[in-house]
Amino acid sequence: MEKVVYALFLVPWILAAAVFALPGASLHRLRQVLTFASLPVLVWLTYLVWNSHLPITMNSPHWLKVLFVVYDYLLLLYFLYQGVKFKNFLVSVLALFQLFLLTWVLLIMPESSVPDFYVDRLTAFMFLIVSTVGTLICIYATKYMEQESLERENRFVAILLWFLGVMNLAVSVNNVEWFFALFETTTLASYVLIRFRWDEVSLKNALRALWMNQVGGIAILLGLLFGIKYYGFTHFTQFLTLAGKPGIVMIPLGFLAVSALVKGAQMPFHRWLLGAMVAPTPVSAILHSATMVKIAPYLILRLSPVIKGTLLAKLLIVTTGFVFVSAGLLALTQDNFKKILAYSTISLLGLMMLTASMGSSMAVLASLTLILFHAVVKALLFMEAGIMEKLFKAKYIEDIRRLIERAPITVTFVSIGFMSMTIVPYGIFVAKWMAIEEASNFLSHGAYVGSIIFMATGGVILALLYFKVIGIMTRKRGEFYRFNLEKLPFVYLVSTVPLVVFVIVGSIFIAALLQASVNPVVAAVVGSPAPISAKGLTLVTPVSELYGWQIIGAFVLLLIVPILAYFVHFTGTDRVYEYTCGENVKLNIGTYDFFCIQSVEPFVETTAVALFILTLILGGGLV
Amino acid sequence: MSYWEAFILTLISLVIGGFIYGLERIVRARMQGRVGPPLLQPFYDFFKLMDKRSIIIHSFHAFMGVMYLIGTWFALFVLLSGGDLLIAIFFHVLSLAFLVVGGFSVRSPYSVIGAMRELLHMVAYEPLYVLSAAALYLVTGTFQVSGILHSNHTPLFYLPLLFVAVLLSLPAILKKSPFDTAEAHQEIIGGPEIEYSGKFYEAVYTAKWIEYIYAFFFIFLFAGGNHILGALLVIFSFFFFNLLDNVTARVNFRQMVAFHWYILIPLAVINLMLIALWRS
Repeated sequence: MEKVVYALFLVPWILAAAVFALPGASLHRLRQVLTFASLPVLVWLTYLVWNSHLPITMNSPHWLKVLFVVYDYLLLLYFLYQGVKFKNFLVSVLALFQLFLLTWVLLIMPESSVPDFYVDRLTAFMFLIVSTVGTLICIYATKYMEQESLERENRFVAILLWFLGVMNLAVSVNNVEWFFALFETTTLASYVLIRFRWDEVSLKNALRALWMNQVGGIAILLGLLFGIKYYGFTHFTQFLTLAGKPGIVMIPLGFLAVSALVKGAQMPFHRWLLGAMVAPTPVSAILHSATMVKIAPYLILRLSPVIKGTLLAKLLIVTTGFVFVSAGLLALTQDNFKKILAYSTISLLGLMMLTASMGSSMAVLASLTLILFHAVVKALLFMEAGIMEKLFKAKYIEDIRRLIERAPITVTFVSIGFMSMTIVPYGIFVAKWMAIEEASNFLSHGAYVGSIIFMATGGVILALLYFKVIGIMTRKRGEFYRFNLEKLPFVYLVSTVPLVVFVIVGSIFIAALLQASVNPVVAAVVGSPAPISAKGLTLVTPVSELYGWQIIGAFVLLLIVPILAYFVHFTGTDRVYEYTCGENVKLNIGTYDFFCIQSVEPFVETTAVALFILTLILGGGLV
Repeated sequence: MSYWEAFILTLISLVIGGFIYGLERIVRARMQGRVGPPLLQPFYDFFKLMDKRSIIIHSFHAFMGVMYLIGTWFALFVLLSGGDLLIAIFFHVLSLAFLVVGGFSVRSPYSVIGAMRELLHMVAYEPLYVLSAAALYLVTGTFQVSGILHSNHTPLFYLPLLFVAVLLSLPAILKKSPFDTAEAHQEIIGGPEIEYSGKFYEAVYTAKWIEYIYAFFFIFLFAGGNHILGALLVIFSFFFFNLLDNVTARVNFRQMVAFHWYILIPLAVINLMLIALWRS
C-alpha cells in the first residue's frame, strides 16, 4: 500500500514533467491526453487507498529527511531572492526570519522514530477531493489556456499538476517540519500561479500572497519550536496524544491554528486570496476550491481532538464565525464576479473552520460535508466564471445582465452552484443545519450562541448575495419562445457536468453519502462516528430528521421548476411591457452594490485583527 | 399531527388565511374609525381577479408568481407536518426565492427594488427565527414541531424576551408597517407584486394569506403543549400587530435591519443565555 501512496505524490509530478517537456502549440492534443489521464489514474489510486486498511504509517529513509532539509533551505532562499529581486521588504524579512527559525528548529529537533507519513481516513478524504476536483480543474485548464495562450499552456498545466502532487503530500505527512516545507511549497505554488501573467498587478498580488502566507509559515515554525520545548513533540500523531488531558500548554496549538487561519485567508489575511483573481481562472479554481485553502480546515480538523472545548477552540469559533459573516457582507459590495466568489470562499472557509473547531462528531461531520461540497461547488462556479469570461466576455455583474437570453446552460449551472451554497436541501445547507443543531446543545457557552447567530446571519447574507446575482442573470426583456442552448466546448462540458451531477445526486442521497463515505472520516478524526443514520433518503440525526420527501420536494421546486420555466408558455394571455405604475422610466436597471457597507469595512477589519490577536494570545495561552 | 391532518390543514389554510385577512381589514378599519369591508371581501377579490383578462410580461415572471404560491404552501406543509422546525424555516426562505427571482426577472424598477428589499427583510428576521428554533429546542428538548406541540413545558414562560422579539418582528415577515419596505405601497407600489395582474396576481396575493398562517403558527409554538394559551397568544399577537400597523410609519430598510440586528437579536440572545446558564 505504501507504493500506492507514493504513487499519489509521484504520478502528478511525472505527468507534470511530461506536460512541461512537451511545449509548443502543435503538441496541445498530446498534453490534453496526458492531463485527461490524471483523472482515472489518481481516482483509481485514491480508491485503492480508501479501501485499504487505514491508517497507514510509513517510515521514511534518512536521505529523505536530509532532502527535505535541503529543500526547505532552497525554498526559503528562493523566497528571499524574490524579495530582494522585487525589492519587497516584507517578503525578504519574513524569509530571513523563517530561515532563522528553521535553523533553530533543526538544531533542537530531537531524533524521533515516529513515522513521518500518516495516512488516515482524513488524508484519504483529501486525496479524494484532490484527485477528482483537482484533476477536473487541470483538464479544464488545458482548454482555457488554449483560448489564452498556447505557448505557455504547458507551463501552466504542469504547475497545476505538480501542485496536486504537493497537495497530496502535504495532507499525508506527519512530521510538522515537513508539513512546514509543504505548506511553504503551496505558498510557492500560489506565488508562481498568481504572477503567471507577469503584469504589474499580477506581480503585486503574487508578492502579497507570498508575504502573507509566510506569516503562516512562521506560525508553524513557532508552533513546532514550542512543541519541542514543552513536549518534545515533532509529529501530529504525538500532539494527538494530548487529547483530553487537563492543563496542557496551548502555545504550539495556538500557533498552528493561527497558521491555518492565515492559509484559510481569514481576515485580516484575506487579501492574498482576493488577489488571486488576476491570474487565469483555473488558478482561482484550484486555490479556492479543491486544494490550497482546504489545508486550513484540514489542519484544524487534525488538531480538533486536542483543542476541542478549550478556550482556543471557542476563540476560533468566534473569529471564524465573525469572518463568515463579515466576508459575506463585504462580498455584497463587489461588482466583479470572481471577487464575489472569492469573498464567499473566505466566508465559507470560516464556517468550515468554525465547525471543525467545535470538535464534536456532529460538528466534524458538518465540517467535512462542507469541505466536500464546497470544493465541488466552488470549482464549478470558478469554471463557469472562466467560461463566462472567455465565451461571453462577462467579467462584471453588469456584463452578466440578461445572460439567460444568451447562455441558458451556463446560467442554470451557475444558479445551481449558488443555490447549493445556501438553500435547502443541498449538501452545504445540510451541513449548516447539522452545525446549528449541534451548537444548540451548548447554549450556555457564549461562543456557541455566537456561532448560531453567525451561522444564521452569514447564511442569509450569502443568500442575499447569491440571489442578487441570480436575479441579474435571469432578467429578461420579454417572452422568448425559442431559445438556443449555447455551444460549449467539449472540454468545458466534461469538466463541469460531473460536478453539477455530483452536487445534485449527492444532495438527494445525502443521507447515504454521509453515512457511508463521510462518517468513517469522522470516526478517524474524532474517534467515534457521528450518531446519524440513513433511512432511505431520510437523514436521521440525534435530535431530528431531514425527511426524504422534503429533499425531493425541495428539488422538484428548485431544480425542475426553473428549468421547466423555460418551456412554460401561458397561452391565452396578453403580453405587455412593464407597467411601473404608468411612469415613463428607462427600463435599464443597474445593480445594488450596497455602498453603505463600505463604511463598516474599517470597523470589520479592526475587529478581525483584534479577534485574531485574541485567538493567538488568549487561545494560545501566551498570557 | 399526522400527515393527513397536516395535509388537510394545509389545504384549507387558504380559506383560513383569507378569513384572517378579511378580519384584519375589519379590525384595522375599526381602529381607524371606519366600518371596513365585509369579512368575505378577500374572497370577492379572489373571484374578481380570477375573472380578469390575463396580462403578463413574460411567462417566466408569471410562472414564478405561481411558484411562490406553491412554494409557500409546501413550506407551510413542512411546518405543519411536525418535522424539523429549522428545516421549515429554511423552506420559507426557499419559497421567498421564487418571489425574489420573479421580481428580478422583469425590467421594472419598482419590482427589482422590491425584490431586493424582500431579501433584506429576510436578512433582518431570519437569524431571529433560527435563534427561536434553538431556544425552543433548549426549552422543550426537541426540534420536531410535533414534539414542541406536545411538550410539558411552556416555552413562553422561559422565553419572554424572545417572544417579545418575535412579536416585534412579525410585521417584517408579514410586510406590515413599520417594516413594510418590501411592499411600500406609496413608494414602490407593492414592490415585486407590481407587475403581476389577474390570475397571477391572485397567486401572489393568496400566498400572502398562507404566510399569515405560517407566522401565526410560529407564535402558536411558543405555548408548547398548552394549546389554549397558544390560541390566546395568536389572538393577542393578531391584535397587537394590527395596532402596530396602524400607529407606526414605515422605516427604511437600514433602520429595519438595524432594529432587528441590534435590538431584537441581542434581546433574544440575552434570554437564551440566561436560560442556558440557569439550566447548566
